[in-house]
Order: sequence, then C-alpha cells, then structure tokens
Amino acid sequence: MADIYSIVTSQQLSYEQKVVALAHAAEDTLSVIPMPERTRFYFEKGAICNLNEGNAPYRPRYIMPDYEKAVKQGVKFLELDPPQDFDELLTFLQVLYRHVPSITTYPVFLGDLDKLIEPFIKDLSDEEVKRKLRNFFIYLDRTITDSFCHANLGPEATRAGRLILDVDRELEQAVPNLTLKYDPSVTPDDFAEQAIYTSLCVANPAICNDVLNARTYDRYGISSCYNILPIAGGSYTLTRLVLPRLAALTESKEEFLTKLLPEAMQCMADYMSARIRFIVEDVHFFESHFLATEGFIERDRFVAMFGLVGLAEAANKFAPAGKKYGSDEEADSVAEQIMDTITAFVNAYECPYCAIANHRLLLHAQVGIDTDFGITSGIRIPVGDEPESIYDHLRHSSRFHRYIPTGCSDILPFDITGKKNPAAVLDIIKGAFSLGQKYIAFYASDSDLVRITGYLVKRSEIEKWNSGKAVLQNTTQLGAPTYASAHLANRKVRGV
Amino acid sequence: MALVRKIISQSTVDGPGNRVAVFLQGCNIRCAYCHNPETQALQDAEAKEMSVEEVLAEVRKGIPFIRGITVSGGECMLQAEFVTALFQAVKQLAQETGHPLSCLIDSNGTIPFARYPELMTVCDGVMLDIKAWDSEVYHRLTISKDNETVKENLQWLLQKDKLTEVRIVCLPEKVDVETILQNIAKTFDFIGKKAPVRLLRFRPHGVVGELAQCPMPTDEQMDSYLSQAQALGVKAEVR
Repeated sequence: MADIYSIVTSQQLSYEQKVVALAHAAEDTLSVIPMPERTRFYFEKGAICNLNEGNAPYRPRYIMPDYEKAVKQGVKFLELDPPQDFDELLTFLQVLYRHVPSITTYPVFLGDLDKLIEPFIKDLSDEEVKRKLRNFFIYLDRTITDSFCHANLGPEATRAGRLILDVDRELEQAVPNLTLKYDPSVTPDDFAEQAIYTSLCVANPAICNDVLNARTYDRYGISSCYNILPIAGGSYTLTRLVLPRLAALTESKEEFLTKLLPEAMQCMADYMSARIRFIVEDVHFFESHFLATEGFIERDRFVAMFGLVGLAEAANKFAPAGKKYGSDEEADSVAEQIMDTITAFVNAYECPYCAIANHRLLLHAQVGIDTDFGITSGIRIPVGDEPESIYDHLRHSSRFHRYIPTGCSDILPFDITGKKNPAAVLDIIKGAFSLGQKYIAFYASDSDLVRITGYLVKRSEIEKWNSGKAVLQNTTQLGAPTYASAHLANRKVRGV
Repeated sequence: MALVRKIISQSTVDGPGNRVAVFLQGCNIRCAYCHNPETQALQDAEAKEMSVEEVLAEVRKGIPFIRGITVSGGECMLQAEFVTALFQAVKQLAQETGHPLSCLIDSNGTIPFARYPELMTVCDGVMLDIKAWDSEVYHRLTISKDNETVKENLQWLLQKDKLTEVRIVCLPEKVDVETILQNIAKTFDFIGKKAPVRLLRFRPHGVVGELAQCPMPTDEQMDSYLSQAQALGVKAEVR
C-alpha cells in the first residue's frame, strides 16, 4: 500500500501517469499466473524478465487492428460510420486510436498510414493535405505521449507517403515512429531516397526489409519499436530471456547450453503459455472487446514473442578470452550455438492459441530496458565493439537476423554528409537487405531526434529531463537513463 | 601496377551512390586550390605500388554494398593502362558475382580519352573537371598553359555519351565560373543532356600555398552561380 500512497502523492508523475501506475499496482495485487519454484528462481536471478507486463494480463501486449477494414465498414461500438472524406477519416482514426488497448495504454500500431490516406486525398492539393496532416500529427504526438507507437509506409510509393514524409521532416516529432517497408522491386529509388533523406534529418523513418519480413505472415505490420506482427492480430505477451544473467549462473559453456538454457527456456515458455491462457480463457478478451467482436482482430492471428537480450555478452563470456562478438569468429560461433539451441527449443515447444505461428513461440530480439546495465540490445554488437567497416557490421547482422522473425534491427548513426547523397545510403541498405539484414534505422550524427533502442527521443528533451524538468513523453524518461547507461552517444558514426 | 595513394571503401562524393574510390598518385597540372596536394608528386613515399588484383580485392569487399568504382587522383589518366586493366577486371568481377558495378573516371581532362578506345569500352563515364575556360585563368590556377584538350574531351565525351558530370570548383575571382557556364551552354550541345554540372564549393581545408588564405564562397555566392546556370538552361547542383 506504501507504493500506492507514493504514486498518489508523487510530484514527478503526471495525472495520466498516475492513473496508469495505479491500474498497474491494482493488477499486481493478483497472482493468477503460476510461478513454479524453478521459474521463480530464474525470475529472481533476472534471467527471465516479464518487462513489468503485470501479474494479471487483461489485454494482449501489442494489438495490430485491421484499420483498412474498420475504415471500410465503420465501427459500431464507437458509433463511427465509414469516413467519406479526408477530414472524416482523420477524425475516425483519432477516435479509434484512442480505444486500442496495449501494454502502454496507447496504440502501438497506427496502420499503413499512406494506404489509409491515399484514397481520400485525390481532390485535395498538396498544401491542403499537408496542413491537415500537420494537425493530425501534432494531435498524435501530444496525446500519444509514448513513442512506442508506429505507423507504416510503403513498399509502394504513393502521393500520401511522400506528403507524410514531408510533414514528418518539418515537424521533427518523436511520435509517430515511422517505418518504410522497402522492396527494391516495388519501391522506386527516389521514394526510398526521400525516406532516407528524411531519416537523416529527423531519425525517422526506419527501413524494413519487406522481401524477408513479408514471408513471416500473410499480412504484417511494424509496431512499437520494430515488432513484426500480423495485421488483424498482434502479440499476447513479450517475456525475455536475459542471457548474460543466465550465463552468470555458470562458468561452463557446456552446462549453460545443455542444462541452464533449456531449463530456463522451458520455465519461460510455460510462463508465457499461462499468460496467453489467462487472456483468452479467463479475461475472455476476444469475446468481449469490440475490436475482436467486430472483426478488426482475430484471436488466431495473435502470436507470443519469446524475447532475448544480451546475446553479445553471453557469447563473449564463453568465447576464448579476448574474443569479441561482432569481430571474432570464435565468439560469433558461440553466439550461433546459443541461437541454434534457442531455435531448436522454440521449434519444438507447443504454445496455446498461436495458430498463425503454427502454435510456436516466435523469437524477438528485445531492445533492453532502462535498468539493463552491461546488457546489449537483442543480438546487436555492443557499442564500442562495432567492426571498423560498416560492411562487416552489416554482414554480421545478416548472419544473426535470420534467427529472428518478430523483430530485430540495427541502429547506425551516419555522418551528416550522408544527407547530400541518400542514394549512397540506399546502396548500403540494398546490399545489407540482399544478404539477409531485416531492419535498419539510422540518424545523422547532428540530429536532435535519436533512436534509443528502437523508439525516438529528442536529445534536447533528455537534457531537459536530466536537469529536473517535467517532460511530456513517457519515453524520454526511459530514454534519458538508457542513452547514458548504454553509452549510445558513443555509437560508431558511419561516414558516408 | 599503379602507384596508389589511397582507397576509400565507402565514398559518397565520387559519383552517384556508394562507391569504392581509388586515388592514384601523380598529377600533371597541380592546381593551386588542390585539396589533396599530397597526391600531386609523381613519386611519394606514402603511395603504394599495387597490382590490379590487390585493388580488386578492395572492390570485392564492397560487394553488395557499392554501386561501382571511381578512379581519381592525382590524375588517373597518367596511368591509363592500369585503369583499363582495373576496369576490365571489375567488369569481370561484376559478371562473376551478378552484382552490377559501374566504372567511373574522375579526370582533369588533359589527356585525350579518344586515344584509349579499349578503356572507353569498359569505362561507364567520366567526371570532368573544368578548371577554367580562359586559358590565362587556367594557367594561373595550374602549371599547364593550355586547356584546349579539356574542351576537346568535353566535346568528345558528350558525343560518345560518356560524360557523367562536369565539375567546377567555385572560387570567386580566381575561377571564371560564369564564363565556363556560358560556354558550356552555348558552345556545346550540353543542354538537355543527362550530365549535370556540379558546382563544388572551394574549401581551404588541405590547400597549400597562397589560395589557402581564400575564404569559402558564401551560400549567396553559390546560389548565384546556381541561378546563373539555371538561367542558361544548364542542369546544375551545388555541393
């Protein structure tokens, strides 16, 4: 109860943040998910982490509504008719977004925004569209005060897509996070180059390998940081295996691979299955929420994300002394052994209510949280250990991205000269994607907006927060400590 | 073999897209505003004798991230036989790997390209530096008295569709930028061709000698060159 008192009386939390924290505290008074002894052990060691997802999940963590369908048929529960013009569309989306649940309480997915908008702007001039889009984007940024929120573009070039990029560059906001789905045989170079130029100005959009990611499900979208999830579905949960903390329990690679890792994975998978069952069978989410009852999401299109973090540190621990993940084959092959062990487990484990994933848990390269110290995001190379050549860096990524279906990425800061030649950056992306790299984000070394682990934060806002002032975005509060603790200012800047 | 000053594995300023840029040692005109004068001497302890195969190894590492290769200098056409052999090897490599690679030359245009038909079959284009139009101005900037060959090369490359871009280093009062633009526009069948004129801003960085004291042209000056080019119908870009 002391916790609740401190939430209620806090001067650091905004009103909205208090409401969310109180709901969370209430949820955590329940204990409905079984916690067998060994599971509890791995939780206490920090080797399994539920990312503070709550003790009694009452909605899936990430929801990817089929907005196209909603726009076509209207939403009965919200008394919304299908929009007939651009103004009606924007109001329709603003209302609908407000009612999409998620772990953050804000929508994590805003849809294929270019495709949603394109049919409604035929009779409007560029200036009219941009004026309305500007207001729409300002509304999103100021009310979705959490940058784990994603809109998608492409792979086709559209007028709407180009105008969205223009507005995004002008406004320089953390929300929405944008990703361009890129397919070299569909996306024209000039559109991709406009996206890259925009990204070198405002760290947005990221670029997603559409050719590879489209194979994951029939229809996919990018949500939150860079999660690859089925549209009209989502993910029930994201629990993560913190590999360095698991590795800390032994000095033997053999014991790690054959005993600890399998046992911890079994505990984590059972724990995730219990969470899924609770949402489906006890909460009856899919029988009660309008998104499900009106057909904008389907239970059979939900997956569960089996997260992992700190592959680099775990591999380095069991590699010969001085050999490093990212530069030395000895460490990389240990990492591959770890990934092969994990892959074999998830391929064999059957989890409930994940029809679209053939009832398998799907791997996710989790980005880390603000309390991780000395733990590198997912399968990334630690800051400071990046190979001298960007080509070697990207070849390495390709080798490990192949393991991860529900999201993995690299973040590269580029020298500002890249702005003058986005075609050169596109050449590098084309090369990386052809090798199997799945998702790449970048920003210019002088940009105010930076990508922390996947989400966007303004450096100026970090400074404001660090100096003790209140900030609007929840994610600035996460980003400020992470920017420092993960030494992100020291990321290797790639000259182009 | 060639005398190589340096190789940049990821260059964005030596032609379209991302390229491997090879800088050969040795120059025949020694521009006063040269920003890498260390490449001018025909021999230099810092430069390295390299075989085609050695340079090709660097290109190989860049696949599939690069669009091609640019050979620059110094003046790379002083070692035209090597450039020919290198480009032939690069084209062979492109065929073997299925990754297309374009081969560009960055040149001061003092050596006639027409003399090297074999090279020009494997060279996709030339980025030609027009240092000055008036031969007096040219002579003040370089150790050469005559820029007739440069003009002949411009004409020849245009006819053969091998001109990738024209480069003009803009340094007010020292370079006759307006005259170059006017002459390009009227003397040659330049307008409407795909090659753009790149207006390069003079930068004192690296420059040795009296021009090191010259300031960088302002944005206004560069914009004024750009509008002059546009008024003449010449496609131009400032860099």
